Amino acid sequence: MTKNWIDELRTIVGPRNVITGSESLAWESDGLSLVRGMGQAIVLPLDTEETVLVMKLLAREGVPVVPRGAGTGLTGGATPVEGGVTVGTARMREIFSIDPVGRLAHVQAGVVNSDLSVAARPHGLFYAPDPSSQAACTLGGNVANNSGGPHCFMHGSTTRHVRGVKLVDAQGQVLDLLASPADPEGLDLVGLITGSEGMFGMVTEVQLNLEPLPEEVQTIIAVFPSLDAACDCVSEAIAAHIEASAIEILDKLTIAAVEDSIFAAGYPREAEALLLVEAEGGALEVQETIDLVLQLAKKHGAMEIRSAQDKAERARLWAGRKGAFGAMGRVAPDLYVADVVAPRTRLREIVALAIKIAEERNLRLGNVFHAGDGNLHPNIAYDRRDEDEVRRVLEAGQLIMEACIERGGSLTGEHGVGVEKMTHMCDLFDDDDLNTMHRVRDALDPKRRMNPTKVLPLRACREVRNGGLPFSPMGNLGAKT
Amino acid sequence: MSSAIRSLPLDYDLTLDCIHCGLCLNSCPTYRQSGRESEGPRGRIHLMRALAEGRLEADQDCVEALDSCLVCRNCETVCPAGVQFGALMESARDHLPAPGLLARGLRWFGFRLVLPHRRVLGFLAGAVRLTQLLRLPQAIAPLLGQRGIALAHLPVFPEANKRRNLPPICPSTSERTEAVGMLEGCVQRQLYGDVNRATVAVLNACGADVHTPQDHACCGALHAHNGDLDEARRLAQKTIQAFEDMGGEPDMRIVLNSAGCGAHMAEYPRLFAEDPLWLPRADAFAQRVIDFSAFVAQAERAERLKKQLAPLAPRKVAWDDPCHLCHGQGITAEPRALLDLIPGIERVEMPGAGSCCGSAGIHALLYPAESNQLLDAKLEEFTSSEADVLITANPGCQMQWHGGFSRTGKATRPQHLAEILAASLAQGPQVVSKAKPPKKG
Ligand SMILES: Cc1cc2nc3c(=O)[nH]c(=O)nc-3n(C[C@H](O)[C@H](O)[C@H](O)COP(=O)(O)OP(=O)(O)OC[C@H]3O[C@@H](n4cnc5c(N)ncnc54)[C@H](O)[C@@H]3O)c2cc1C
Ligand code: SF4
Ligand code: SF4
Repeated sequence: MTKNWIDELRTIVGPRNVITGSESLAWESDGLSLVRGMGQAIVLPLDTEETVLVMKLLAREGVPVVPRGAGTGLTGGATPVEGGVTVGTARMREIFSIDPVGRLAHVQAGVVNSDLSVAARPHGLFYAPDPSSQAACTLGGNVANNSGGPHCFMHGSTTRHVRGVKLVDAQGQVLDLLASPADPEGLDLVGLITGSEGMFGMVTEVQLNLEPLPEEVQTIIAVFPSLDAACDCVSEAIAAHIEASAIEILDKLTIAAVEDSIFAAGYPREAEALLLVEAEGGALEVQETIDLVLQLAKKHGAMEIRSAQDKAERARLWAGRKGAFGAMGRVAPDLYVADVVAPRTRLREIVALAIKIAEERNLRLGNVFHAGDGNLHPNIAYDRRDEDEVRRVLEAGQLIMEACIERGGSLTGEHGVGVEKMTHMCDLFDDDDLNTMHRVRDALDPKRRMNPTKVLPLRACREVRNGGLPFSPMGNLGAKT
Repeated sequence: MSSAIRSLPLDYDLTLDCIHCGLCLNSCPTYRQSGRESEGPRGRIHLMRALAEGRLEADQDCVEALDSCLVCRNCETVCPAGVQFGALMESARDHLPAPGLLARGLRWFGFRLVLPHRRVLGFLAGAVRLTQLLRLPQAIAPLLGQRGIALAHLPVFPEANKRRNLPPICPSTSERTEAVGMLEGCVQRQLYGDVNRATVAVLNACGADVHTPQDHACCGALHAHNGDLDEARRLAQKTIQAFEDMGGEPDMRIVLNSAGCGAHMAEYPRLFAEDPLWLPRADAFAQRVIDFSAFVAQAERAERLKKQLAPLAPRKVAWDDPCHLCHGQGITAEPRALLDLIPGIERVEMPGAGSCCGSAGIHALLYPAESNQLLDAKLEEFTSSEADVLITANPGCQMQWHGGFSRTGKATRPQHLAEILAASLAQGPQVVSKAKPPKKG
């Protein structure tokens, strides 16, 4: 690989930060290991200035660009594309400032989510959106995917917390949308960029709201004899306008996986389902919320209810929940994490359906989900070397998605569309909707070089619908396998 | 599950435990340093899997990605899928070529000809001491760049009488309750004989007679971490044999004051997974191995020790977890609890105490710039903790910190946990004077 422009990239960011050798294979997937892709290089700029130079050069050469944060995305959004260059933020890790009075943080896009909360803590503040991957995922990636997390039930997902961004677009132009102290004026472009999955440019800097640490926090777990009962309990709590900060459900397989892992949280293994509820705020409100949960949990047959006695126990209960996906690695080498939204009154029905779909295909399914938001994660353990199992997994994933959409839900709760759900955009939108999206995209990236072959299907939906499985695993992005 | 093509016979099944979630990335010092996925745990596992599947050739780039790993095992502590990263990396390195001349030289000269042999070790330590007294390292340092800096700031090897063997048996100094075995180690014995003597003093005070095998040098940990499993196996056999031959109760505990050796010896059985003759012996041996802090922190022993500890001059101490203690053996509470027993001193937490100082076996020699960078961050954290003294429990870490303090002109020197405990013991239970500076253990 002796292309001249690659040498130019080396001059911009330093030779160590342009990767073209055999070790590039390490970047071939993100958190969706079913999909692989190999581009021409990986580039790791240090800041906005370097990113501008890199993007200008790539524009001049007409090379497609894939933005990448930590690569924990679960829909293949950060998978390299053939002929493209992956531009990563892994070296952009500086926290520029934390303004304790304005409760505002200004960070580089590659800062890891939980690192911001750690830095904000001495000021009595924290960053609220807490994806389960928060120990690793970047704030830039969170913005690009508009990520959620257990506590987003109360605090809302990323978009509610982004105050400003700095974006380097496909041509290498800087769009400086860092917030002025007053209310934003003009069009809400920040809102547009949040959730754009890397299609509008490289986010290099982000300004985020911080929240005061809550006065009082209580966490309880309730053990249910069936998944149905736990789901019903949540549906009723939602109907009663419960003010909890997080409402999560874990099923038996997930509990077992967590309890076998280093994140063993003391979840009772005999539970068919576990409800994890947290309330935060003033002492009085918190007590009210917890009382309501207790009452409903008993009504729905909870066998045991336990509350965290101290900080350490609360941390353990959450570490277990947040390690749940990874812990499923104990069940099989790979995990397919579905991400769908069900109307919250129909939780039980859709969960039961997902179980049935998996059972019929002889697949091992674990459920762990943000029940409060109706955001389900049916997780299917499999082995990517077993072609037939892979086919069954994808089929199950597709059926679960379709079932949700049919019942008034949505195809992604928080993980984005990426590669995985691209063709499913047609189930939710018609050609006119999608054309509008393309037009917005073209305004920012007329050559469609940013994260191509992702999110928006290029073919008309009619063709897509006749296409069969959502994507062909292993190699659809030009992987050398 | 062995249908895949295996071009590299590393432990393929271990790679399958990784679910590619990435939760380990930010815990990895080399990933945080370079931002390269190929220098993070997930990427390295991915490369190893690809090597095993024959999808990737072990060329220089790939070998370097794997070789730059510290084998600090921080990734294991955070991995929910239970990936055994250390074991996997050892098995991979065993089949990979060493990435450069220095690494190759170290493997063949240092690991095979020096470490395993007491006499050679002793001779070399003496020779190095001589050059150190003549300030030769300082003289040639400028020619060697980053590596020279590290060389110039190595601790000076002590005089010969401090490098002598421990007696075969050191009897308990309080009411005798048990006997234990102890490993003197290779580098530890030559460079940090004081640490070994302090360890003995503390164990004796807890009521234990301490037995040491007289003709044993190296446990083989460095060999295993650096791609020489055959030699590691040979040294493990010698070690097991030495302790079996030493006599005493067959289940007598073997106490380790070096985290790296302890973590490795507790995992000896892995080396003999396919050797029915040695596996049971390795199993029985591993059962006996216990870290110094875990052994002493046990309630009755700690109680006995506590009664004999006297106040040290007031100072703040910070515990820096050696990787192979906290990540390799899951031991974090015990050393802290022991420091809390010492009257007069205050223990402070250092941010990032569980993150590697950059010593990492021979990493500091092979990647001096990266190693110094890791250490610089640790030095800053130490300063921010406002501690006066740094306490750790591994010879490599002690050397690394020593170099860092010396290079940045700090007067303080790192101490082993046993040393500060022994210093407090040496004050005697009756001494109340707080002003007296502690005697070296
Ligand atoms: C164990 C586990 C648990 C998870 N839990 C949750 C959860 O609770 N909630 C949730 O919402 N998600 C969750 N995720 C998904 C994932 O962590 C989030 O989507 C996260 O925001 C991705 O961040 P990242 O830095 O890894 O981005 P990447 O995966 O690298 O990229 C994600 C997308 O963003 C784009 N992108 C990344 N950085 C930039 C940038 N600087 N500028 C422009 N575009 C960019 C990429 O092109 C890609 O399309 C989880 C994933 C795992 C593995
Ligand atoms: S090593 Fe563990 S934490 Fe890291 S990616 Fe693999 S499964 Fe996840
Ligand atoms: S052992 Fe340490 S350096 Fe190596 S991959 Fe794991 S965390 Fe990184």
